Amino acid sequence: MSTTVGSPRGVVKVESREVTRAEVEDFLYREAQLLDEWRLDEWLTLIEPGGRLEVPTTDWAGWDATTAGYFVADDYELIQARVKRLKSRKAHAENPHSRTHRMISNVLLLEAGAETVWISANFLIHRYRDGGAYTYVGRYEHVLKVDPDGLRFRLRRAVPVMESMDPGARLSFIL
Amino acid sequence: MAQQTPVRPLGAAGAMIDEDWEALRFRVHRSAYRDPEVFRTEVDRIWNHTWLYLGHETEIPKAGDFKTRTLGGRPLIFCRDADGQVRAFFNACTHRGTVLCRHSEGNTKFFQCFYHAWAFSNSGELAALPGDDAYPDDPAFRASMALRQVPRLQIHEGFVFVAFDPDVPDLLTHLGPAAHYMSLTAKIGEHGMTTLPGVQLYSVKGNWKLAVENAMDGYHFAPTHNTFVGYLRETGFAVTDDDQYAYDLGGGHGLLVLTGHNGRIGMVWEPRFGDEEKARTVTKRRELEARLGPELAAEVADASRILFVFPNLLLFDLEALTIRQLEPVAADRTDVRAWQFVEVGEPESVRALRIKTMVSFVGPGGLATPDDIEAYEAVQRGITATADAVDPAHDWSDMSRGMANEKQGNQGRSIDEGAMRSFWRRWAEVVGAGTSVAGDPPAGTPAAGPTSGGAGR
Repeated sequence: MSTTVGSPRGVVKVESREVTRAEVEDFLYREAQLLDEWRLDEWLTLIEPGGRLEVPTTDWAGWDATTAGYFVADDYELIQARVKRLKSRKAHAENPHSRTHRMISNVLLLEAGAETVWISANFLIHRYRDGGAYTYVGRYEHVLKVDPDGLRFRLRRAVPVMESMDPGARLSFIL
Repeated sequence: MAQQTPVRPLGAAGAMIDEDWEALRFRVHRSAYRDPEVFRTEVDRIWNHTWLYLGHETEIPKAGDFKTRTLGGRPLIFCRDADGQVRAFFNACTHRGTVLCRHSEGNTKFFQCFYHAWAFSNSGELAALPGDDAYPDDPAFRASMALRQVPRLQIHEGFVFVAFDPDVPDLLTHLGPAAHYMSLTAKIGEHGMTTLPGVQLYSVKGNWKLAVENAMDGYHFAPTHNTFVGYLRETGFAVTDDDQYAYDLGGGHGLLVLTGHNGRIGMVWEPRFGDEEKARTVTKRRELEARLGPELAAEVADASRILFVFPNLLLFDLEALTIRQLEPVAADRTDVRAWQFVEVGEPESVRALRIKTMVSFVGPGGLATPDDIEAYEAVQRGITATADAVDPAHDWSDMSRGMANEKQGNQGRSIDEGAMRSFWRRWAEVVGAGTSVAGDPPAGTPAAGPTSGGAGR
């Protein structure tokens, strides 16, 4: 899975179905809106049952979650548990919820698989809580399942590029 | 200008710890978390004069491997030299003090300063001195410019400690009974244990002592981690706070022994670990018993533990193992580094289960640690409310839970605040903060950890 820098494709074919960058962008923007509005049940429907949610650590050098420590290494059950938790008033780290504002750009279609497309994008998330302002910068490396009528996450991986989580900048929300 | 006496509404004789065995009251003055002066005293009296946890040998397995790390505010190089010896240097060129190594990790034979190109071998000798004809033609000069080594470095079971004071007692003397509990974690793997890459680096807006308190405080578990306890219950595991104990290991070190907290990979099965792991748990227990004998195997395997080694190391020997290191940055800020500590050579499926399980709880992205961080950051914000309060009695934090029990000489429970009290007593002793004691403390010294057979089962 190597990045084809210099020839980013605006369209790839997954079986007979065409996936365009515009479709992927719409999908990511829609997701960002659901997360910023804390519509977590709707967000959960974007994850394929059996899908994974990952956030590697800031020293990440490509290790997978079977060989290195991570910040988040959720299988589908844990994603569901995470959503349930975040909807509870007892998720103290997110009660009240953080205000988040996501910007997504530099969307690239990297490679098509048998039923998936591998994409990358940059993210910039501003988070506000308790009088503090925090910035999370990184890139997404997602594997999207291509359905006839849309896209879903098979792997949703947010890779922070900061050197460390800043004071107060924990990952209690979905990055 | 008339000299002003600083007004600090403390207890009797300016005490920061107020202990009253008649009223069964233990209070800590909140300036202990807030005051920059207290913070400076801590860095001086604790970080400059006590053994500090630097890192684990397995972080630098090969000759030439290095990590840079800051401890007590001092930039350090933690490395393995060409002969395989573990070393710690102050990360500053001996010439003019430039930070010598500006990478967080790597492998090198030489550390070269970019400023004037002085170079040092990974065992510290000055190896290149550009334009050396302008310096005294004297080997003693070169020798005097060798990289500055940290005055003391000792290793226990792979855990590397350093001290900035050459006169500290031996590491094992400092560790006392805590050494045994570190050894227990080191014995888990048949082929040893190793740290993994993927280090959780994060920082919290809270005093470092709040992180220590939180780890030694079983009282908060149920209310703070309500959602995590709910998740465990849904996966078929009932969490209990009963029959769990806290131990004062002396020297400021503390231990919680937790039996009903959760399962343990390879040792205590719970449904969320799956059937494959259930079978492995049986095999693993046989392996532990054959290697360590039944008693030690039981001690290693049957209970979760949280060990605090004064002042900056926490070992979370829970579902899996996490090493956590605290670095005080300011009175209201602490940097945290956390490593997963795993069995060498375990199957990939077990490794994956271990990482998933541990990070689902521990770390800034877990389902539990963010609530801990929320709690002690909230303390840090909250305690400004009573600073210089009209009624000085309001500016104290209460840690008296379980004192009646303690007075009767009973083993402290993990859901009481005894482990925090023993930490604070040691803290006051080391930083020279006043302690006011009223009434008669319980007779006898506290037991140095669970006796063989394990209290709390």
